[in-house]
Parts: sequence; structure tokens; C-alpha cells
Amino acid sequence: MRSQTMRLVVDSALPLRRYLGQAALHVVLLLFSFIAAAPFIWMIFGSFKRFKELTSSMYLLPQVWTLDNYAAIILRVNFVAAFRNSTIVAVLTTVAVLLTSAANGYVFAKYQFPGKDQLFALLLSTMMVPFAVVMVPLYIFMVDIGAVNGLSAIILPGLWSTFGIFLLRQFMESVPSELIDACRIDGASEWRIFGQIMLPLSGAPLAALAIMHFLGSWDSFMWPSIVLRSPDKQTLPIVLAGLRDLWWERYDMWMAGSMLTVVPVMLIYAFASRQFVRGLAMTGMRG
Amino acid sequence: MVSRARSAAATATRVTDRAGGVGQAIRKIVRRPQLWFGAVVLVPTVISYSLFHFIPMFRGLWLAVVDFDPIRPAASSFIGLANFYKLSLNPLLFIAMRNTLLLATMQFVLMLPLALLVATCLVSVKRGTNLYQGFIFLPVVVSLVAISLLFRMLMDADVGMFNRILRSIGLPTSRWLASSDSALPSIAAIDVWKGLGFYVMLLTAGMLNIPGELHDQARVDGVSEWQRFWYITLPLLGHTLVLVMVLLAIGSLQVYTGVVVLTNGGPGNSTYVFNLLIVQEAFSNMRFGTAAAAALIQLAFVFVISVVQFKLLRPRWSY
Repeated sequence: MRSQTMRLVVDSALPLRRYLGQAALHVVLLLFSFIAAAPFIWMIFGSFKRFKELTSSMYLLPQVWTLDNYAAIILRVNFVAAFRNSTIVAVLTTVAVLLTSAANGYVFAKYQFPGKDQLFALLLSTMMVPFAVVMVPLYIFMVDIGAVNGLSAIILPGLWSTFGIFLLRQFMESVPSELIDACRIDGASEWRIFGQIMLPLSGAPLAALAIMHFLGSWDSFMWPSIVLRSPDKQTLPIVLAGLRDLWWERYDMWMAGSMLTVVPVMLIYAFASRQFVRGLAMTGMRG
Repeated sequence: MVSRARSAAATATRVTDRAGGVGQAIRKIVRRPQLWFGAVVLVPTVISYSLFHFIPMFRGLWLAVVDFDPIRPAASSFIGLANFYKLSLNPLLFIAMRNTLLLATMQFVLMLPLALLVATCLVSVKRGTNLYQGFIFLPVVVSLVAISLLFRMLMDADVGMFNRILRSIGLPTSRWLASSDSALPSIAAIDVWKGLGFYVMLLTAGMLNIPGELHDQARVDGVSEWQRFWYITLPLLGHTLVLVMVLLAIGSLQVYTGVVVLTNGGPGNSTYVFNLLIVQEAFSNMRFGTAAAAALIQLAFVFVISVVQFKLLRPRWSY
């Protein structure tokens, strides 16, 4: 009798408990979403405030909207040139990486040749080596070939992506070999199989790779800050970091500069966040 | 006589036959379209990796053991471990090591439980997963330089938003990045804020790979939510967890950008990290040898940590 009433109580409590459990999950996730987004929202509106208001007012929206910060950034700093440089580097390396990753992915997934696995392991091993190890020799090399202080110093090492090769090989291994053999029997050349079968089939991982590589190139700081010395050759992150010394503690300028750097990224993210997240989830598959 | 001539002729034909066979085999291989495609793809790849990865790697090893002569590099003389010895005399070496390990530990201790918490919530929540994911992932994609400038503003000791909020609710304020006590923890917190979404995403993907029947069975058996997390999710997350830990450790040993923009090693040397030391040795002091030696120490750290973690945490179960 007693156990029956207890079960009744438990049963009736269950939906409520589940409801409360879901509510708790939402509270936690809302809190973390807020923590993640709030600084950006403050930055967006902060870039339209005057310095005095930015550093004193607690209100999110500017009392007086101003574009002076943006005007100063664009007119007095080399932001336009930096934007152009960053775009050149990001677009060129992304296109190249898509091609080289797909081609190498195809070869490593579907070809048989002696030493294949060892070569692949050798390529992958470069992901474990910290950049600092190759940085100094790479710098000496760039000086030797006269590429230092030019965009080619960051484009040339960026035409291949180890992660991209890995990702595309992983994906192309799942394409049935029978399909490729059938094409070969029908007389299709390797170029044609690659261009008309493998590339179109790999749309999803290529999209993920494109977004990840573009953003990675856009944000890249360490190597460009070392090889790009003259202001007209620098990329956005370098010029942006230079604002610290140019306008010490002028947060209004910093926010406008950050906005100009970040807006393209945010736009790409808004339209393609799913591919991006899917691509990153794929990095977890290598385990 | 005749028979001998015949046998000689036979041998000759056999030899030419074999030669023809080899030639044909080579011709067959050369004619295979895969060979040309493979060569066109692999040769530039190998050249590029040699130029930008393998040769620099070996030159890095070489730089560490010679007295580098920038005008005639070939004339640099072998000096053994003298660069390492010179490096060990630099008081900044131990400061950089201590700060880097401290930063890595703080990030590890903060990041892992938070990422597990958020990932568990994301997997269990029934609605709005994509929306939450989109927000939590946002800091991962945004330029670290912009984020660093943003946090320098928010963490300003006088006019920063953090201190203004703390003041308005009557809590003690902090000097954040401006004091040598709080600068390193502040950087760790910013890194965790920036990287959380990435690790949440990896963990979420791992959790979704765990078969749902296991949880259903446990639920039928009356196992509590907490116990299910502890005895099912966590052990079966093995692979992903190891990957997350390795990436976290390797990443935090190599922090550079955030530190440069946020504090550039200061105040004092309280946030002077290893990569800062390498870059300064190489490009401010123009001492390539000691910089290369320091980079090899970093390589050793990264190597040891990944090996130890893979050995210690090799999961018996994984999905």
C-alpha cells in the first residue's frame, strides 16, 4: 500500500522534475551564451561612442552616435591597405589549400604506391612540431630568397594545409573505389575523375576547410608580425595590434579598428556557422 | 655444335624477351594515368613540405648547436651545447617556463570542467541546441587580436566595465592585467573564454557518438543523472577526452598572440611566456642560436606531454 502511494508520488513528480531539469539546462546555456556574446555587443555599440561616454556610461546604446572613430582609423592608419593585404593572402591561400588538399586527399585515399603510409605519417608529423621550431630557419630562408617583408613570405608557406590533406583523405576514403574504377574503364582521365567526381563529391568537407582556412589566415598573427615590417605590407591583425602604441588606451579607436577587422568574420560566421562547426567536429574524428 | 648454337640463340631470345618484358612493364607503369596525376600532385607537395617544414626543422636543430654566422652561414662553427648553456644563464628562461606552465595549468583546470558542463547541457537540452552552439562558438572564430584589445578595455582598472560592475554591486575590484598578481590568471580566463566553444564542440561530437541505448538501459535501471555522467559518459568519452587534453596542453604551451597584445609579458615579467622568449631572443636580440635552443626545449615539452597523455589515458573503451 505504502509503496504504491510512493510510486504514485514519484510518477507524478517525474514530468515536473524533467521539466525542471530542462529549465536548469537552459539557464546554464543561456548564461554561457550571454557571457560569450556580451563583450561583442558592448564592442559593437562601443565603437560608435565617443571616448568619454565609452569609459563612463553604463548604457549599452550610445547617447550620441559618432563615426569619428571609424573616420580616424581609415584616414590616419593604413587600414585600407591592411584590409587589401589580408584579403589577398586569405583568398589566395584558401583557394590553393582547397586544391592541394583535395588532390593530395585523393592520392592518399585512393592510390597505392610504396611508402604511401610513411609519407602520409611524415606529413602529419608536421602538425605536432611547434611553429617556434621552424620559425627562425624559415625567417633566414625568407631573407635568403628576398621574400621577407612581402606578402609572398606568408603566402608561400600557406599553400598547403596538413589538416586539409588529412580531412580530405579521411572523407575521400569513404568514396567507393568501384565508382572510380568504373570511370577509368569508361576511359575517363585521372584529371576528369578528380575534377568531375571527387571534387563535387567533397563539397561538405571542402566548404568546412574553406571557412576554417580563410578565418585562420585572416586572424594569423605570429608569423606575419615577424616577417612584415613596413606598414603598407602588414595584414589586419598586425595593424590592429599596432593601435596599442599609436593610440595608447584610446579604447574608442581600438573598438572601431576591431570592428573593421571582425565584421567580415562575423558575416562569414553568420552565414556558414554550421559548416564551420561541422568542420571542427571532424577534427575530433582523428582520435 | 648445332645444339649449342641453338641453346645460345634460345638464351639470347630469352634475354631479349626479359629485357622487353621489363621495358614493357616500365612502359606500362609510365603509361598508367595514375602515375602522372600522382606525380603532379605529390612532387610539389613534397617540395613544399621540404622547403617549409622538413628543411627548417633540420636547420633548427643545426642552429641550436652552432655559432651561427649570419654573413657566411656555411662557416658557422659547431659549438655543441653552448647555446643551451647560454640560454640557461638567462634568468628569463625560468620565468618563462614557470609562467607558461602556470598558465597551462590554470587553463586546464578551468577549461576542462567548464567545457564538460556546457557540452553535457548542449547534448541533453531538447530545444535551441543550434542557437546556443552558435553563441558559445562565437569567440572561437573572432580574431584574437581584436578580442585582446576588447578585454584590455573591459579589464581597465579605472574605467573598465568589469570594475565598474563590481563597484556598482559593492564587490572589491581587481587591477586585472595591470598587476603582476592578477595578470596571468586574467590571461588564462580570457583564453578559456575564447577557446571554450572549440572544446565544447569536440566534446559534444564525442558524446553524440556514445550509443543512446546505454543511457536508456541505465535509466530503466534507475541510475541517476549524475551517476550516468560519471560511469557512462566520461569513460566512453575516452578518445575525445584525451584529444581535448592534448590539444589544450599543446595549445597553452604555445600561447603568443594574446599575451603580446594583452600585456607583452608585463607587468614586470609576470606574464612573460616561452614563445615571447623565443621571439625576443631571435628578433630583438638577434641571437638565433639560443632562440633555436629554446624552441627545441619547447618541442621536447610538447612531445613529452603528448606521449605521456596518450600513454596514461589510453582508454580501454572508446567511441
